Amino acid sequence: MASIMRPGLLRQACQAPAASQRMLSTFASSSVKQSSPFAQHMRPAFARSTIPKSTRIAAFHATQRQQILPPLPQRIEGTTNDPTPVPDPTPAHGSYHWTFERIVSAGLVPLTIAPFAAGSLNPVTDSILCALLVVHSHIGFESCIIDYFPKKRIPVIRNLAHWALRVATLTLGIALYSFETNDVGITEAVKRLWHA
Amino acid sequence: MASQRVFQLGLRRAAVPNFLKLQPAGRMVQRRLAATDTVSQTTGQEILAKQRLQRPVSPHLGIYKPQITWLPSMFNRLTGVILSGGLYLFGFAYLAAPTLGWHLETPSMVAAVASWPAFAKISAKAFVAFPFFFHSLNGLRHLAWDLGIGFKNITVIQSGWTVVGLTVASALYYTFIG
Repeated sequence: MASIMRPGLLRQACQAPAASQRMLSTFASSSVKQSSPFAQHMRPAFARSTIPKSTRIAAFHATQRQQILPPLPQRIEGTTNDPTPVPDPTPAHGSYHWTFERIVSAGLVPLTIAPFAAGSLNPVTDSILCALLVVHSHIGFESCIIDYFPKKRIPVIRNLAHWALRVATLTLGIALYSFETNDVGITEAVKRLWHA
Repeated sequence: MASQRVFQLGLRRAAVPNFLKLQPAGRMVQRRLAATDTVSQTTGQEILAKQRLQRPVSPHLGIYKPQITWLPSMFNRLTGVILSGGLYLFGFAYLAAPTLGWHLETPSMVAAVASWPAFAKISAKAFVAFPFFFHSLNGLRHLAWDLGIGFKNITVIQSGWTVVGLTVASALYYTFIG
């Protein structure tokens, strides 16, 4: 409503670059700069463009508008003037976690290079590699769940996914413990399979 | 009606001598014809909720140009999921093997793989080698970034292509030779 009452403002909001404006204009060009509000006001009413500029610009956006994940119904907490809540900036809410992830990843680097240099790993080093792989994989999958199952949109599925991952990681831990104690170890197994 | 009023306003202003000099930057000062309104908290919340629905949503990935700066980052997660997913699946199968009567001990697996045709062996090796080397080498890049090293755009591009090159070379080597 308010914008209908203020055509001057609307014109300012829809100001396009000079070149495209010339291509889009529906009236004959003159020496007067058409975009200036003065020129618009001085032109007789019938000579003013019948199509609003916003419509003429919108016609150029010919691609289909696809709503892939349209916003959910909005729920406002508190009053309309409350700012967005900022999460508590405690290191326990991310920074320690982040450092732990990097330590695990960095620890995997020598343990990944060693088998290539030495052929395979001894049982103790191989077990450390397995443990780090379990932790690293768990953290990786956890990040995927956090990224792809938004808390606001699908809280139940997100929770289920988290618990499924915990169960899976525990199962993997048991499986790798069993493999390490009963079998030849993961690096030796990969080596033998590779040259089979 | 409103446009007529603005037109009259413009005429009146044009009639005033030196009006352009009086106005800042030669522009007409807007006469605000809209009135403000006081609304209740509930109405305000409704308006805000409606406005929030109008906010733009992030565009789909498909509109972006594929660039070396972001593609390896995506593949890093993808290859990580492939490698870890394989490890998880092997773990589940290994635990379930005695119950299901499978033989997943190393000697029987080696014997099974040995009986595969060369094409299957090479495909399996390539399927493991490419994600493994990419994730390992690109992981080093990510660790370097975490230390604040190599953040210049040109460095990111160069290290990205280096990782691609090293991945292809080492994966092909271990698929066919090593």
